Amino acid sequence: MPTSASRRRGSREQRELRKEVLITPYPELGLIAMDGPNDPEPSLVIDEGRIVEIDGRREEEFDVLDWFVALRGIDVIAAAEAAALSDDDLSRRLVDVDCPREDLVRLSRGLTPARLARLVSLLDPVEMMFALKKLRARRAPANQAHVTNLKESPALLAADAAEAAARGFAELETTVGVSRYAPLNAIALLVGSQTGRPGVMTQCAVEERRNLQLAIQGLVTYAETLSVYGTEPVFVDGDDTPWSKAFLASAYASRGVKVRFTSGGGSEALMGHAQGRSMLYLEARCLSAVRAAGSQGVQNGSISCVALVLSVPGGTREILAENLLAAWLDLEVASGNDAIASHSEIRKTAKLMGQFLPGTDFVTSGY
Amino acid sequence: MRFDPANDYPIGQKRPDLVATPAGVPLDGITLEAMRRGALAWGDLRATGDALRLQAEVAAAAGRRPLAENLQRAAELATIPSGTILEIYTALRPHRSTAAQLETWAKKLEAANAPLSAAFVREAAQVYAKRGLLAD
Repeated sequence: MPTSASRRRGSREQRELRKEVLITPYPELGLIAMDGPNDPEPSLVIDEGRIVEIDGRREEEFDVLDWFVALRGIDVIAAAEAAALSDDDLSRRLVDVDCPREDLVRLSRGLTPARLARLVSLLDPVEMMFALKKLRARRAPANQAHVTNLKESPALLAADAAEAAARGFAELETTVGVSRYAPLNAIALLVGSQTGRPGVMTQCAVEERRNLQLAIQGLVTYAETLSVYGTEPVFVDGDDTPWSKAFLASAYASRGVKVRFTSGGGSEALMGHAQGRSMLYLEARCLSAVRAAGSQGVQNGSISCVALVLSVPGGTREILAENLLAAWLDLEVASGNDAIASHSEIRKTAKLMGQFLPGTDFVTSGY
Repeated sequence: MRFDPANDYPIGQKRPDLVATPAGVPLDGITLEAMRRGALAWGDLRATGDALRLQAEVAAAAGRRPLAENLQRAAELATIPSGTILEIYTALRPHRSTAAQLETWAKKLEAANAPLSAAFVREAAQVYAKRGLLAD
């Protein structure tokens, strides 16, 4: 006998959506999507060409991310241009068909993380999708594929890679169960992909140092494992700084390897050091640092933390806003959609629409 | 003919005359036939500082200043041994190096004809000192 009041209600309770965990925002722990009560007011003070204040923090209070963005990430000429425009004016330009991408990209170079987050938060999801379509870096959207094999069989990996390349995926990613096999898997993917369609790019996602070795040996053609985080304690906990990551990016490039960074909302809250800030504001800090490091692109949109972001109100919109910010900052975007976001097929599809309808540079980071 | 960073991209298609391997083999010299003859070594199939500098020019012409700077640093690192690069990366991780150790790396980079990378390491050292990210 069903315990529900009616069979109808009982069948509703069995739906996948009922397995979702939804929480009330808890800003002190960073469990808030955007417009957090503790997010700083946007500000930017420039003294004789030097940036001395960002988002309410003076130079003496700068953390490692503030310093990196202040020294490398903000164009002071664009900053003056952007400062003369109101929030409403700037955010309307994002959805104005008559305002070209190049103008918006130029203005983005003068915006601080808090202002970037505030401006996109003025848009509703449909407006965000329109802006994202307009700001996409690649001419046409593309996709990445994951090519893995439980038995790590090089022949099967190569065959699957060849099929993925022939079917049109622009980038292929593999990883390994046993890290010693990494070079073998990387070779299988490289050989298979170039057989299917020459020019397709490949990567093997392993630990940072080993990844760089694969790149140095010429076994991979791109890397996107360079993770960045929006607060100093989490960044340092990840055993890196913006300078070490940027140096790593140059090292990859010196071996002819394409580099994309990775960031995503919710990672700081998950690692326990969100400093009371919203997910979108912290992601805006990540993206400002990624651009300042000279990356040509970023994999973002919560990525592996997606289940956490979707458990707070406005999470789906926040993820779309992240992708939009990356595109606005002139970064090629691989927009996730490769981790399990929800129990509900309907909710997963709804989340995907944000990237699928406008068409990001890489709609999924691993199909 | 002068390189035009606004129009000569992709360089391999539009200006193949400007691209060569570290040993000076031109782009159309990279063939399976040459490989079989032994005319190409494994180390020949990699980026050169010159090619990366052209890429940096393309990025700068498109207004992508940080990307251009990254590619300029990469051009400097192209001739630096991989082991050294991994050592410098490790030295730049948090709490790994003293200010003096980072300064030693900066001097080595300068001596290796990599002034931009040297300045980058010095900049990191200054910020690490302010944020307590140097080794004790």
